[in-house]
Amino acid sequence: MAGGVPTWEEVARDHGRFLYNVAYRLAGNDSDAQDLVQEALLRVRKGLERYQPGSLEGWLARIVTNVFLDEVRRRRRRPADALPEDPDWVLPPAPAADQVFTGLSDDVQAALASLPEEFRSAVVLCDVADLPYEEIAESLGVPVGTVRSRIHRGRRLLRNALVSTGETA
Amino acid sequence: MNGRPAPDDRLSAYLDGELNAAERADVDGYLAESPEWRAERDAIAYARDMLRRLPVHEAPPGVWEGVLSPELTRARARRRSRLPRALAAATAAVAVAAVVIASLVIPSPDRVTPRVPALSDSHAVRTSVSDEPVSQLATLSMITPFRR
Repeated sequence: MAGGVPTWEEVARDHGRFLYNVAYRLAGNDSDAQDLVQEALLRVRKGLERYQPGSLEGWLARIVTNVFLDEVRRRRRRPADALPEDPDWVLPPAPAADQVFTGLSDDVQAALASLPEEFRSAVVLCDVADLPYEEIAESLGVPVGTVRSRIHRGRRLLRNALVSTGETA
Repeated sequence: MNGRPAPDDRLSAYLDGELNAAERADVDGYLAESPEWRAERDAIAYARDMLRRLPVHEAPPGVWEGVLSPELTRARARRRSRLPRALAAATAAVAVAAVVIASLVIPSPDRVTPRVPALSDSHAVRTSVSDEPVSQLATLSMITPFRR
């Protein structure tokens, strides 16, 4: 890592696992997470020259979240493209008749996927990527007060979703 | 409660350590007084903990080879740049077509290439037989550079 700025290969090798996890928590499935990661890494490669040494994982989380929100906006503009292929983008994943959810994390992931994207992004940046509110606000281009509200409402919705699946009293 | 705004979304910020000292003291006051707000805090804390305890989701086998493969990366980059390149190609095609059409439609000025030696000879012959002194000088002026 020359001068504190990592190479593209170092980013992919050392932080790919983190990046993929954030992408998966945002997208809700592996196929879309893979697309998000690939697009994010392309943006990383383009933006490395401008990268200011600091929280690299924070920077990566912001990039992949912006890729996610760009994709959400694109699919909203062209809903016919999105819905037949993968309704998970806008609807909570509905389990198939033969699908049995195994483990608590699947239920939490399903509840997370049921959140509106704006709330989901804020919650994932806070609780998965562990970013402070100010960085989340910068990433999403909204005031800190809005971040605070989205995180709180997102968590409340998540809790209600978990209650409805019987995960909590 | 006591005329103060209810903590509401400050509860999450409270749990995340994102409040300043005054805000924190305010929320502490609410929590001490209100069992409802303590229940709300616990509900939010539960959701927060569930998210933070989610395990890292590992990429399925082979994903990294696909994500990082130069072919796929290039293909994605090509897809991203397809529209601008198509626009540039269309613009260039229109420009070329415009030049070609203009060259066909707009008449070019006729080029005149006078056959000076032949005209000069012809004139010299005519003046030599006409006995007209001024015209004879004209022949000389064409052959001999004028000098002061």
